[in-house]
Amino acid sequence: MNNRQDKRNRLSRLWDWFWSPSTQFSVGFTLISGFLIGILFWGGFHWTIEASNSEEFCVSCHSMETNLGEYRQTVHYYNHSGVRAVCSDCHVPKEWDHKMKAKAIAVKDVFYELIGSIDTREKYEARRIDMAKTVWKKMRATDSRECRNCHAFEYMDFTIQETRASSEHQRGIDEGITCIGCHQGVAHKLPPNWLEEYEKLKNPVSATRPGRLWVDALANAGTHQSYSIGSPAE
Amino acid sequence: MLEILGTLASNALSLPGILGLGIGMMTRQPYLAGSLGGLVGMLEAMIFSGFSLAQIGALELTFSVLVGIAAGMIGCMIRRKGVKV
Repeated sequence: MNNRQDKRNRLSRLWDWFWSPSTQFSVGFTLISGFLIGILFWGGFHWTIEASNSEEFCVSCHSMETNLGEYRQTVHYYNHSGVRAVCSDCHVPKEWDHKMKAKAIAVKDVFYELIGSIDTREKYEARRIDMAKTVWKKMRATDSRECRNCHAFEYMDFTIQETRASSEHQRGIDEGITCIGCHQGVAHKLPPNWLEEYEKLKNPVSATRPGRLWVDALANAGTHQSYSIGSPAE
Repeated sequence: MLEILGTLASNALSLPGILGLGIGMMTRQPYLAGSLGGLVGMLEAMIFSGFSLAQIGALELTFSVLVGIAAGMIGCMIRRKGVKV
């Protein structure tokens, strides 16, 4: 009992000390030290954010082994030029506000890792379509923003592309089709029924439960859409 | 829900949260602090949309203003609690 009271007193004294005026430190000292501590914290914050963007960090969880294996067989990992796109290049936006939002949302992945929601091959395959749909939906809503960090129509030389690729890219420009409209499964394997599910995504009203409509509407309103989901163009 | 929580967190770590708190610490009047914080929230939504009103998302704008107001008020509380004169 006394011990608990002691602890409470200590906390309350600490609280009082925290809010009492400083008698030992000058204003200059307080300002300069606050500035330096601020730099230290902000630098540390950025360092942590960048560290969490590294491939090593992303695949350090057991659940990501399946992802990693599939990604290693794609052109984004191994190619003639040696230029790579790591996990964060495709899954984390570059702009500050979108990046912070993605990082905050990614906290859920830690939770799912802890409860082991995709820790076996069977569980992973069962959830593969849901995970793919989440990414497709995001990509469609943002006009494949993360793809466009590296790929841009403006700098593509259509004359050195294969005939089919160049004509499809031209169609993409003409009809406003976004990258994910054609390039699903570029870094991870597609589930068996992926095309059917992707078609459903293009017509969200018919595929969505009525109770979720307002949530989807709110979520879509929060993204800077440059085209409408399920447009006739696609 | 994840969209909403993510937007809240990103705003708390951006201008509305940080500058809103700082501006709120400059006044003892909670309404003024909240208003200034809300203004910072609006400013942030404008900056990130490239000053194009058509590009501002309703969710982003709402949450950046709300976070700005909250941060301004908290800043004001810190001022009232922490400055003795």
